[in-house]
Amino acid sequence: MTDELRLRVERRGDTGAILYTKGYINNVGGEEIARIAYELMDQSVNNLLLNLGDTKIVNSIGISILIEIIEKMIERGGKISFCCLTPVIHKTFHIMGLANYAAIFDTEEAAVQQLAL
Amino acid sequence: MTATAERQMELTLPMVPDIEIAAARAAGNLARELGMPTEAIDEMAHAMIEACINAREHSGSEDKRIYVRIVGTSLGEGNPRIDIWISDRGKGFDVTEARSRRQKLGVAHKRGWGLQIIEAHMDEVGIETSPDGGTTIHMVKYGKTQ
Repeated sequence: MTDELRLRVERRGDTGAILYTKGYINNVGGEEIARIAYELMDQSVNNLLLNLGDTKIVNSIGISILIEIIEKMIERGGKISFCCLTPVIHKTFHIMGLANYAAIFDTEEAAVQQLAL
Repeated sequence: MTATAERQMELTLPMVPDIEIAAARAAGNLARELGMPTEAIDEMAHAMIEACINAREHSGSEDKRIYVRIVGTSLGEGNPRIDIWISDRGKGFDVTEARSRRQKLGVAHKRGWGLQIIEAHMDEVGIETSPDGGTTIHMVKYGKTQ
């Protein structure tokens, strides 16, 4: 029944990375994203793009963990962005205010170009 | 145009992690059979997930069960109406307080968005809750904007 989250990281230069998610972002999935994101930050990544193209469901606990990751990255002077959201996830990000603190792009191509990844 | 109840389903679910996915998939399958558009199904799924999580995380019910009833009605012209009741037998909650939460980035406590998400994604939401009678959230989703 569980739509377990799978993650894949693609490094872009010394300070950039794209994190691909596949599956349900719940509390467990959010914590796993946080673990990977904090590892990347410790490796000097300060420009992180999360591609949620293969994630169709999120919950508010998972999003609250994403907000914590954004806060930590902002504290370190970096930025986190998102791309390829479903319309409903995009709407949910706006409801919870995440969209006020992270850029959201329709496509990975647009994000890569804008973020110089 | 006569509305006809075409599909009905009742589930009793244990309060275990990710059980909300089972509820959302059941409702999604029923709505899909009635021709509901994908985006409306996705919105309904996200609302159901939050309602089930609220029941699991906050109800404090002793029987540790979530009771789900789903009724799908065709309103004609590919416009179904899906009614969903999600109930628990827990301690209830303060609806006014839950609706008034507006957390912002930088506030340590970021939880408690479930009700706002439910109301944003569904077309109609009603809540009955009491300390000794548990909580029932009745949500309605239409295939087309009413």
